[in-house]
Amino acid sequence: MKKLLAVVLASFVLLTACSSKENNAPNNGETPATGTKEITVWAWDKAFNVGAMERASEAYKTKNPDLKVNIVENAQADIIQKLNAGLNAGTTKSLPTIVLIEDYRAQSFLQAYPDAFFALNDFITPSDFADYKIGPTSFDGKQYGVPFDSGVAGLYVRSDYLEQAGFKVADLQDIDWKKLIEIGKEVKAKTGKSLLTQDPNDLGLIRMMIQSAGSWYLKEDGTTPNLSGNAALKEAFETYKELMNADIVKVTSDWSQFVGAFNSGEVASVPTGNWITASVKAEASQSGKWAVVPFPKLGGNPNSVHASNLGGSSWYVMNVDGKEAAAEFLKATFGSDVDLYQKLVTEIGAIGTLKAAAAGDAYKQADEFFGGQNVIQDFAKWTEQIPSVNYGMHTYAIEDILVVEMQNYMGGKDIDKVLNDAQSQAETQVK
Amino acid sequence: MNIRRRANITGWMFVILAVVLIAAFYFYPMIQALLLSFKSGKGMNLSYVGIDNYVRLFSDKTFLTAVKNTFIYLIIQVPVMIVLAMFISVLLNDSKLKFKGFFRTAIFLPAVTSLVAYSVIFKYLFATEGLVNKMLTNLHLIGTPIQWITDPFWAKVTVIIAITWRWTGYNMIFYLSALQNIDHSIYEAAKIDGASSTRQFFGITIPLLKPIILFTSITSTIGTLQLFDEVVNITKGGPGNASMSISQYIYNLSFKYSADFGYAATVSYSIVIMIIILAFIQFKAAGDKNG
Repeated sequence: MKKLLAVVLASFVLLTACSSKENNAPNNGETPATGTKEITVWAWDKAFNVGAMERASEAYKTKNPDLKVNIVENAQADIIQKLNAGLNAGTTKSLPTIVLIEDYRAQSFLQAYPDAFFALNDFITPSDFADYKIGPTSFDGKQYGVPFDSGVAGLYVRSDYLEQAGFKVADLQDIDWKKLIEIGKEVKAKTGKSLLTQDPNDLGLIRMMIQSAGSWYLKEDGTTPNLSGNAALKEAFETYKELMNADIVKVTSDWSQFVGAFNSGEVASVPTGNWITASVKAEASQSGKWAVVPFPKLGGNPNSVHASNLGGSSWYVMNVDGKEAAAEFLKATFGSDVDLYQKLVTEIGAIGTLKAAAAGDAYKQADEFFGGQNVIQDFAKWTEQIPSVNYGMHTYAIEDILVVEMQNYMGGKDIDKVLNDAQSQAETQVK
Repeated sequence: MNIRRRANITGWMFVILAVVLIAAFYFYPMIQALLLSFKSGKGMNLSYVGIDNYVRLFSDKTFLTAVKNTFIYLIIQVPVMIVLAMFISVLLNDSKLKFKGFFRTAIFLPAVTSLVAYSVIFKYLFATEGLVNKMLTNLHLIGTPIQWITDPFWAKVTVIIAITWRWTGYNMIFYLSALQNIDHSIYEAAKIDGASSTRQFFGITIPLLKPIILFTSITSTIGTLQLFDEVVNITKGGPGNASMSISQYIYNLSFKYSADFGYAATVSYSIVIMIIILAFIQFKAAGDKNG
């Protein structure tokens, strides 16, 4: 009996020993703040974000050779999951020192976990960056994110297809969506090519349209759904339906089909964020056949401009040991290093949002792939014109509702009813 | 201490480790999740809201659609699979069948594949320009490719085909082992009495398989209610939410939208309640004749 008890007790001791060992396992940012030797960064997209961070870490070596920057590549969905799980578990031990968060999602983290992030007001100056990046990256008057890439949108067009249909690239400068749809029909009739691709599950196009008019799914406060009676959204929906019904859209269901469609020359244009440049240029045989024109505006909306945004993300410092070292690192790299931004443009095609960077040499290079057009400078110019909106906390929750209502609208449901229904659903969803 | 009590304590000592571990890793989280389901808020800012979350379920269109989809999967897929599994197992149990081991392995093999891996393969098979559409067009069965993934109706069909492929073999094994336990002399007696094969199947095989039918339909029901990997990987729940399952909605509430773990726990508990009710009905339906 006693023996058995001893065995049971011993196994308990063993169990607790195991678990406490796990808790004490050496982890990121455990060393005290002074003289931090190592910081950990989580980011997704090896070529783009991780590549940018690697170059930043390289550049920082000259300033502080002692700091080791561990860059861990994770899929974006995994980062979100790990952050949510870690922050809810109430332990910061498994978390990185610096994390990349997409602007659309930033507020849901900043507001849901107010103490988890480290304010950077003492390190960077928000006004050094594009204005539209500040809303998503700050909360309660404090700046938490170091704005990184610009999601500035443009319309990538195949100049050769346009010419076959009797248009010039100049005809597409500063047009509205109605005009583009007309052009698309002509192109389809003359060349047989669709104008663009759409994934019915992804309303990125709608997001770009409404942001070009300074509107969003949520009101200024970032929490109240702004769907019913939203003029920009209504026009975007109507435009989307017109586009789809014009038989000039190739329907895709995932990223590889999307990229495949323009790489194989099946579509005449790609309206999206500038981060697609690398994928467009991946098909070297199409060199000289592409051009980028300003994003079309919503014709019926007086606030709509020829600039918008899709995606884009920023760097955040978590409130863990080593945060000061991480903040210093970001301050000296993404926060101020103009030369680094030149490298990012030439080597990985990433356009940052630091205003000073646009004055550098790399931003003035013409690109032969785009027929000698200076695309970087154009994008930098449009970046400054992007209307600033508050993405708030619920972009993806509302988008899922809108995707369903969009299907209903395509099926013949009245537009005002569509938006009213979406509004009432969103109100139950986001409370 | 009398001998009976001593024996009792010794008995408990044997199971205490298991009891403690189960309590710590199953019951404690269950109770915590139940408490969580009465809270709401974003991330860490949770507060008790009473039964508000449960009331919200009934006005939440996405939840209701997810429940509807899950039940469509359940009502169509489970019977089809159970019948198919039984049919195949009877064929494989035929003593005159050659290469029995080969067929058995071939049909069971899907059950050992990774859920994600097979889902991804199905997604490519059923793509607009995928193998299935190519085959059907070349056989002139269809003129234009079927939108297996992006059409609300066909998306559900694709998911049902996928899970049927994956789980039929698994259920078949249960029937096969049950069939092998049926005494051969019963069939011989029936044959001597002049019963046809069909008569033998409905008169002997089915009644004797009843406990297994009950077991497989309950486990399949539970499995379907927890459906996640296939839907996420093949259709992402789309188009819109036309193929979304309840589990995927729980995932979205926790990780895709601004994390609301309280409400996500409520939706999880709604699955628990549904499973209990369905299992109860199945027991009742098969109960009285089930030895």
